Amino acid sequence: MFKAFRTFKGGFRFKNYAGQALPILIESRIPSRVIIPLRQGFGTEVKPLVKVGDAVFAGQIIARDDATISSPIHSSINGVVEDIKRMNYFKREINMVVIRASNLSAEVPRLTGHSHEWWKLSNEQIEELIYLSGAGSLDREGIPTHFKSSIISPEDVKHLIIHGVGSEPYNISLDLLLEGKNFLHFFEGVKILKRIMPKAKVHLAINAHKRKIIEQLVKLSTELDWLDIYPLEPKYPQGYDEMLVPTILGQKFPYGYSAANIGAVVLNIQAVLGVYNAVVEGMPLVERIIALCGPNIKENIHVRVRVGTPLSEFITERLKTEESARVVLNSLLTGFTLNEFSLPIDRTFSQIIAISENKQRKFLAFMRPGSKRDSYTRAFLSKWIPGAPKISDTNKHGDERPCISCGFCEEVCPVRIIPHLLSKYVTRNIIDEALTNYNIFYCIECGLCNFTCPSKISLMQHIKEGQDKLTMEGCDRGQCILPYFDLKGIEEYRGVTKL
Amino acid sequence: MRILHKVIDSMYGLIGKNKFLSKFKPVLVATDEFFFGTDKVTNLPHIVDYMDIKRFMALVVVALIPVTIASVYFWGLRVLAIIAVSYAFGGMVEVAFAAIRKKEIHEGFLVTGLIFPLILPPTTPLWVVAVGVVFGVLFGKEVFGGTARNIFNPAIVGRIFLSIAFPKIMSSEWRVPLTDAITSATPLVLFKNQGIITSYTDMLFGFNSGCIGETFRIGIIAGGIFLILLKIVDWRIPFAFLTTAAAFPWISNHLFHTNFAPPLFQLLSGGLLFGAFFMATDPVTSPFTRSGKWIAGILLGFLTVLIRALSGYVEGVMFSILLVDTFTPLIDTLVLGARYKKKTK
Repeated sequence: MFKAFRTFKGGFRFKNYAGQALPILIESRIPSRVIIPLRQGFGTEVKPLVKVGDAVFAGQIIARDDATISSPIHSSINGVVEDIKRMNYFKREINMVVIRASNLSAEVPRLTGHSHEWWKLSNEQIEELIYLSGAGSLDREGIPTHFKSSIISPEDVKHLIIHGVGSEPYNISLDLLLEGKNFLHFFEGVKILKRIMPKAKVHLAINAHKRKIIEQLVKLSTELDWLDIYPLEPKYPQGYDEMLVPTILGQKFPYGYSAANIGAVVLNIQAVLGVYNAVVEGMPLVERIIALCGPNIKENIHVRVRVGTPLSEFITERLKTEESARVVLNSLLTGFTLNEFSLPIDRTFSQIIAISENKQRKFLAFMRPGSKRDSYTRAFLSKWIPGAPKISDTNKHGDERPCISCGFCEEVCPVRIIPHLLSKYVTRNIIDEALTNYNIFYCIECGLCNFTCPSKISLMQHIKEGQDKLTMEGCDRGQCILPYFDLKGIEEYRGVTKL
Repeated sequence: MRILHKVIDSMYGLIGKNKFLSKFKPVLVATDEFFFGTDKVTNLPHIVDYMDIKRFMALVVVALIPVTIASVYFWGLRVLAIIAVSYAFGGMVEVAFAAIRKKEIHEGFLVTGLIFPLILPPTTPLWVVAVGVVFGVLFGKEVFGGTARNIFNPAIVGRIFLSIAFPKIMSSEWRVPLTDAITSATPLVLFKNQGIITSYTDMLFGFNSGCIGETFRIGIIAGGIFLILLKIVDWRIPFAFLTTAAAFPWISNHLFHTNFAPPLFQLLSGGLLFGAFFMATDPVTSPFTRSGKWIAGILLGFLTVLIRALSGYVEGVMFSILLVDTFTPLIDTLVLGARYKKKTK
């Protein structure tokens, strides 16, 4: 059913940033050497099943642990295991399997038991396919199966939220993901998910500006009473679980805990396509579609890359060479900076953004009209010209000043806390009950307060510091959140996009 | 631009060598940043808003430009001298404190230095302007710890100090616009003493006596709306202030029409519009909570009308702003207390 437009208070719409990835997909070549992290997406690190010197084929499970909450990891190329070593990967020490290619064929052997008539398969068979393909580890909570791929079992899921909102400044193209046949595949994927989660109501949240996609979905779903379609404004951070659950379900979110604890599973479009590929095509999760965005990339397109490909294989040649760039993973607001191009990509990558590291000083910068400058205020020309492309760079655009209580951070905060007030408490080292009373633990670290602050204060970092200090004093998140919720699993997990 | 760059670079060299001059490094750094912006880069998030305090304050100054130009037209070039004295002496206090504190000069002074002369009578002697701005910046801002820690609007503090210390200069001699003639009556005085209501169009376009910047009211309204449209100023305080200042006398004028002037007269006389758009909205001294802004605005409206009607003073805007500034922390605390009720388990 088609539902009325809804949104949340606060947030900020990042509009028309120059350098969005066009809906063009290019196959990247098979790399000669891959480094496969043994922890990808949701779940714990898994033990390797292979030894140095073993020959492996593309799609072979090289690491798996059925006892812990995890999903299998595959080799993404045909080759020989060269090394298994611990490496620093996004601030965590984890094991990596290095595989040298022996045969550059693009063929991937299919999983046994997959079927084009998936409705004839039993639930167990579908779940096994999802688990074995690795798709179960996608997104922040994983896809629940009976193989411990998520923290709840499929029967406990009351709400399944699938979103393609795209609220970041740069997003993977929805038009590309749902192009042609993929659209029907996506819809089959939704049906498969509904089959394994029989009690779940399915909520499809799509960017309200993608009218065609919504129209098509509405046409397909008229007879399905378990499916609702929501057009949502692509206002950051609408794509966060913490915002989707309150906007769609009208429920309070247990900030800092998983949505699975309140019986909701949030998935994105790529995860649903992964489910389709696993069950119908029998395709193990060995490749990802990655959007290359930002003004410092020569061509803003999408590439299909094998998991484990070092960044240098496909990023270095595509970067503009004139100026130094900062390469960021997934989100310009919260993402990691990718400095080491020898690191591999994993299942969680969806955008790679390159913006210029702008250290240039500009004469009377603050007086310029700013036809390409983005701002929360309407004090720049760009806000008065519809469709003006915005540039993005890493300059601070101003000096740090004391807080003048302008209130921008409060207005923009999606979880209704007052960042400047909390920051003043923390910087003056007043760490007491008042902070928890002002809901300091509600912070979802979206970074909008830092973004809007005209005084360039690191509000988010101050709030995080306050949370850490409070926890040291014995007053932790649990005391503020848990009494108000009936949570099932209580296992904290924050995806790789978070620091 | 290149010459300026060279001058600043050579100044850095000079300051580095001389021990006494090195105290003034913050001033030079501030000048450097003013002209050439920053080369610092972000940490997280990777992109930030282009808005900064420099543009924030510069836009308030831009909004005051029509009023300033009009006041030069009405009162002659002397206005420019008054503004120059205000910037010079206020700037000296700022520089002195920046040198002592070893902190940079903050841009807030750009606004204070312009607002202060605009709320003085056109006949104010220059030395009085200097005394007022020094007192205002010193006791309105610096003693509290500088920008963003002040409780009162520095311009208001200076103005009130002057009107208490020099009542004769500050409230008995007014000039008739476009002439050198001296009169003792502003529209508010005329109403208070004789019950005369000045023509509304004259007041709107500034053809009557009053403070330097408060008479060209159409320009004030335009500047205020400009700031609200750009989101630099929150609309709640001016809206609540002006509505109360119109609604309250609308009722009381029926009951005591000798004391309370009619609503439109209240809005268009004295410094009400200037105060509502440019002084009550100072983010530092006004409440930061939304409900607090409504409360402050309504309080301001009531107090202004009450002081105008019932006290010995003719004008109540600056006293009410000063009073409400004192209540700001209390209002915020009460609002926060109501919003975040102590959670009982």
